[in-house]
Amino acid sequence: MKDNNIERLVPVFSAAFALIYIISVERNWALFTYHPKIHQWGWLVEPAKNGPPMYWYGWLVTSLLGASAVSVIAWPLLKSRPTQYWLGWTVPLLVMISVFYLFRDFFLR
Amino acid sequence: MATFLVILHGLLAVALLGSITHQAIAVIWPAQRKTGFVNAYRSVSSRAYVNANMVLFLAVAVLGSIIYPIYRVFIRTYLENARLHPAVGSFEVKEQLIAIGLGLLPLYWLVWRRPDPASKSARVAVTLMLCFIVWFSFLVGHILNNIRGMFGL
Repeated sequence: MKDNNIERLVPVFSAAFALIYIISVERNWALFTYHPKIHQWGWLVEPAKNGPPMYWYGWLVTSLLGASAVSVIAWPLLKSRPTQYWLGWTVPLLVMISVFYLFRDFFLR
Repeated sequence: MATFLVILHGLLAVALLGSITHQAIAVIWPAQRKTGFVNAYRSVSSRAYVNANMVLFLAVAVLGSIIYPIYRVFIRTYLENARLHPAVGSFEVKEQLIAIGLGLLPLYWLVWRRPDPASKSARVAVTLMLCFIVWFSFLVGHILNNIRGMFGL
């Protein structure tokens, strides 16, 4: 793949990563779960065993794989268009703002 | 070992904070002359910071992810029992912002690799967003690390 081709995919990847990540957090689409107290890993979302489960690593991998897939799928639409730089930062910016909204309950208790 | 990793995480975060703030200032408030401290601070070559910022961001994030389980099991439980919900929430926000920052790194690399007019707004926006993420995460981490002393708990 030429440099120009990669350039066109990168903004889509960043936008898709942020979007899929925040959906993963909200819907808990973790590809795997870590149980830190017993040092145990498990596939997909597992309930607490002994101590709290951690889904953050799973959300990251879900987002990485999802954003890679979206970038590949979007490739036919992008190859004849200029690089959509704006997409790569506007979507993550909106997601960043939504994070503060989604977690507002912690600050309003 | 955990204490060593926390200190290393903090030291690398300080380096990243300085580096990305320097770049962000040079991007939004550039200067041609190098006379005086402020002008010299503003007149640096922004591109020179890109690789260092990327490596530092990744290193800090990886170290943070290694020590994260300790926070989840011991610190967060303590904060919840002490009903320090804003502190817990701040870390939750930090964790999500870091993830979004990781997703932004490829775009950050792209827009700085070959700066051209078409990517100027993206270059400014991504640099400022990463700078905000680093500042927010640093302050939250610093406050949580010292929360018992700071709030007399």
